[in-house]
Amino acid sequence: MEFIGLEIPFLYLLLLVPLIGAVLSGFTHKNRKMAKYVAIISSGITLALSLMYIYALSSGDYFDSTSFAWIDTEWIKISFALGVDGMSILMVLLTTLLVFLVSIFSGSESNSPNTFFGLILAMEVGLLGVFLAQDYFLFYIFWEVALVPMYFLISGWGGPRRHYAAIKFFIYTHVASLIMLIGIFAMAMMAAGGGPWVVGGGAVDFSFAAIRDAMENDMFDKVFQTAIFGMMFLGFAVKMPVVPFHTWLPDAHVEAPTAGSVLLAGVMLKMGTYGIIRICLEMLPDGAHAWQPVMIVIALVAILYGAYACIAQKDLKKMVAFSSISHMGLVLLGIATLSELGITFAIFQMFAHGLITAVLFMVCGIAGHNAGTREIPLLGGLAGKMPKFAFFMMFGFMASLGLPGLAGFVAEFGIIMAFFEYLAGTAYLWVIVFALASLMLTAGYYLWAMQRTIFGKETDRIDIKHVHDVSKPETLALGVLCALIALFGIMPWLVVDMLGPTVDMICHFLGVI
Amino acid sequence: MVDIMGFIDYVTPLAPHLILIIAALVAPAIGMKSGKATEVFMIIAGVFAMIVTGYLMWTGYVGEFEGLYQFNTFTGLMSLLFLSVFILVAMMSSAEGRKHHGEYFALLAVSTVGMMLVCAAEDMISLFVGLELANITAFALVAFKKNDPRSSEAAVKFLITSGLSTALFLYGMSLVYGFTGSMSINEIIYHMAVTDPSVSYMVAIVVLIAGFAFKISVIPFHAWVPDVYEGAPTPVSTFLAIGSKKMGFVVFFKLFLLLFIAVHFLSQIDDPTAAMRIHELQWVFGMLAAGTMIVGNVVAISQTSIKRMLAYSTIAQSGYLMIVLCVGTEYAMATGLFYMIVHVFMKGGAFIVVAALAARGLGENISDYKGLSKRAPLVAFAMLLFMFALAGIPPLAGFTAKFFLFSSAVTPDGTWIWLVAVAVINSAISLYYYAKVVKTMYVDKGTTSERIRISGSFKLAIAICAIGTIIIGLYPGPVLEICEAAANAYIGGFKEWLFDFHSELFPPIP
Repeated sequence: MEFIGLEIPFLYLLLLVPLIGAVLSGFTHKNRKMAKYVAIISSGITLALSLMYIYALSSGDYFDSTSFAWIDTEWIKISFALGVDGMSILMVLLTTLLVFLVSIFSGSESNSPNTFFGLILAMEVGLLGVFLAQDYFLFYIFWEVALVPMYFLISGWGGPRRHYAAIKFFIYTHVASLIMLIGIFAMAMMAAGGGPWVVGGGAVDFSFAAIRDAMENDMFDKVFQTAIFGMMFLGFAVKMPVVPFHTWLPDAHVEAPTAGSVLLAGVMLKMGTYGIIRICLEMLPDGAHAWQPVMIVIALVAILYGAYACIAQKDLKKMVAFSSISHMGLVLLGIATLSELGITFAIFQMFAHGLITAVLFMVCGIAGHNAGTREIPLLGGLAGKMPKFAFFMMFGFMASLGLPGLAGFVAEFGIIMAFFEYLAGTAYLWVIVFALASLMLTAGYYLWAMQRTIFGKETDRIDIKHVHDVSKPETLALGVLCALIALFGIMPWLVVDMLGPTVDMICHFLGVI
Repeated sequence: MVDIMGFIDYVTPLAPHLILIIAALVAPAIGMKSGKATEVFMIIAGVFAMIVTGYLMWTGYVGEFEGLYQFNTFTGLMSLLFLSVFILVAMMSSAEGRKHHGEYFALLAVSTVGMMLVCAAEDMISLFVGLELANITAFALVAFKKNDPRSSEAAVKFLITSGLSTALFLYGMSLVYGFTGSMSINEIIYHMAVTDPSVSYMVAIVVLIAGFAFKISVIPFHAWVPDVYEGAPTPVSTFLAIGSKKMGFVVFFKLFLLLFIAVHFLSQIDDPTAAMRIHELQWVFGMLAAGTMIVGNVVAISQTSIKRMLAYSTIAQSGYLMIVLCVGTEYAMATGLFYMIVHVFMKGGAFIVVAALAARGLGENISDYKGLSKRAPLVAFAMLLFMFALAGIPPLAGFTAKFFLFSSAVTPDGTWIWLVAVAVINSAISLYYYAKVVKTMYVDKGTTSERIRISGSFKLAIAICAIGTIIIGLYPGPVLEICEAAANAYIGGFKEWLFDFHSELFPPIP
């Protein structure tokens, strides 16, 4: 891709720079401060690359791709194919931004920082790979590669029940991705006409392009698409997660270190919804239509259950974790409308939720670290001692509950609107009540939590003397996020314009435009 | 005048075997002088045999020895596999049998030759000779720590189960000879494929399966594996796990995979009902595969000894490989070969790490590995690679192998999708016990932080396995291509022979 007259291989560099950073930071065990700088510099370069890439792409339709044959035998073709479109470049931006800010935020990490930052950068490679891959084999590799560093982050730097949480997270998501793998095999075999060892079949090609061609040439009938959609959807649904596959998430979040939580909720959950849009909708449109009612029901259950569970939580971080389930359910609702508006704002919500949830988990991390506990009943009146903390917490909560003017509102508004359009004119218009009720529940639990932690009478249940406010690097990271939340709340078209061509293409496959 | 060139041509199909046999005969003599020298000598002999095999494969050589043994791409590939097993095991054997170095290496080499002969065999008798050559030497190897009662116990167990399996195999062979009247494997398969199943036919097949199920540790014939692997000297356990089990699979490929191929082929060219005959048999294999995976993986979870855990994981891997027999296509065979090659590196690597640490006095319980990442960072990292590769985490070779293997079972008619689902769930179960080892090494705090330094030949062997695990994972193309060529050569050759033989017996009606 050309950038101000220079030919820069952005797609490879985006993966290579964090990889080099991960390896380098592994070699910094002699000097404990070095790891932090290696992480900040390499994730900073990656962020700069992704911004430059967006600028370069903005002259066209945001499509770019590159590919070379990786495994090319008589029977199997696998290519190292990378590519972007409006949706994936947005996710790439989210990933690079959050990794950069998390590196700044976690600068004071003192428990083997070289491994810690090495893992974060390794995870960045996996996450970016998922959003860039254009071949199922590659996609699956990155999908799993992103898991391993997260397992070690939770297991090595987490809370008291970290081993249980880490292995639960690892196995839960691993099972789901393996089921997805069967779906991948089936699609590739079907696209190859049964494989070269069957009369009339060709070599099995795992690239996105080959499978999409097969779909467009009507090689996947409706029954097949419906079956495979189920497998792929299960794989992605566990990652999102939706009820009833969500039980790993609260455990993983409560035990994970702040950096892990931010990346887990901010980016990793988006892998699930990204997969649903990229693979389930794009490659299996008939399956999507067949599963539409199920998706809507699952989404509504996730939204309501997540919000309802939040009210009961005593741990601030667990509350935020459950709120993630609720908000990811909203993304699924947007996707499930299978309309241009719904998908656009579902993607917008993925981006907005990534930014907002990062603020929320950072705030929870600060509460746990600076106030010594995250238990809501033990806290109270923190605003006096921690004014900056109170500001960020309030900002994050307000953004998350959908205060107009902030990014969360735009996304929620768009999705509810799309859902309304989908229901309008049918006998099921009353279903919209569930979606609206969740908004009220959300506002309720956030305001109530805020009341009990930062406002009211100053607590005497914790050692209030040692409570201190947000440090400078933390302020920087939170400040940038809050500014962006406000920016995209006021100017949502910055993102929505990028998504246009991609959503058009998906809707074209779905046959809705 | 002796016809030297003629003689060389005559023995070329068995050239790698002869090199290793000569080395095995010389080894005890060198062993009298120096143990280290024997090890180096045997490794050089192994590498030389590998080079010869590789050269023959590269030139596309196909040859036959008296109608008993054959050399083609398939046997060449399997010979390379067994030779690399031999070299890896030789590298990790420096600590074993200090007094009887020469005999140890001679036995190891002869056992390897036996396994290579099984791959090359074209005839039931020569197959049996190779099998016994590999087995009898293996008994002696298992019992090699003669002062250790566990080693002797393991040897007796191994002897009895192997004896039983051999007896079953012989019985099956005699039955098969009874109604086919031939000892040539190809002809036996042809007759089995065109005959309608009778009771004796069924008995013969069941007995043959049971005989070899011992070798490849399929349930319910797997119980000896953990005991023997635990009791035997670690290099010998490695040899059994990554070498002799694959010999069992080769026999299964030779007898049953070809039978399935033959039946499908005949049903295509001539007899449309033929495919129904072996339908049940394929289901038997499917059940055995599923059961083996489940038992291996579930029991592995509760193991506290790392060698027992690896033994059960070996049983589980057998279950995965059984998929090849159910599916019975060229592609499945190619992926099975690929899996076997990868298995040498990942399972071999894990065993070598265990042996290397045991040689430095570390126990063989998983809990002894606490804090290993601080005591021996590179060894711990290698072990992490092997564990994740065995669990099938990308981008390591274990993932690629599982990817190809499982993909081969997703056939258009969808018969084996359930088996893939079972395999996939088992793969997830296995992640638990592999990750437990990694967690013990990296997260748990050890009682001591004293450094462990392992000796040079172990380092080299671990490095070879680690590099193999990474490289084949990242760039599987060339290896997969060789496996495809081997499967094509083997099955393609068989199909050609089958076509000729069949049209000779039943000339097509003009």
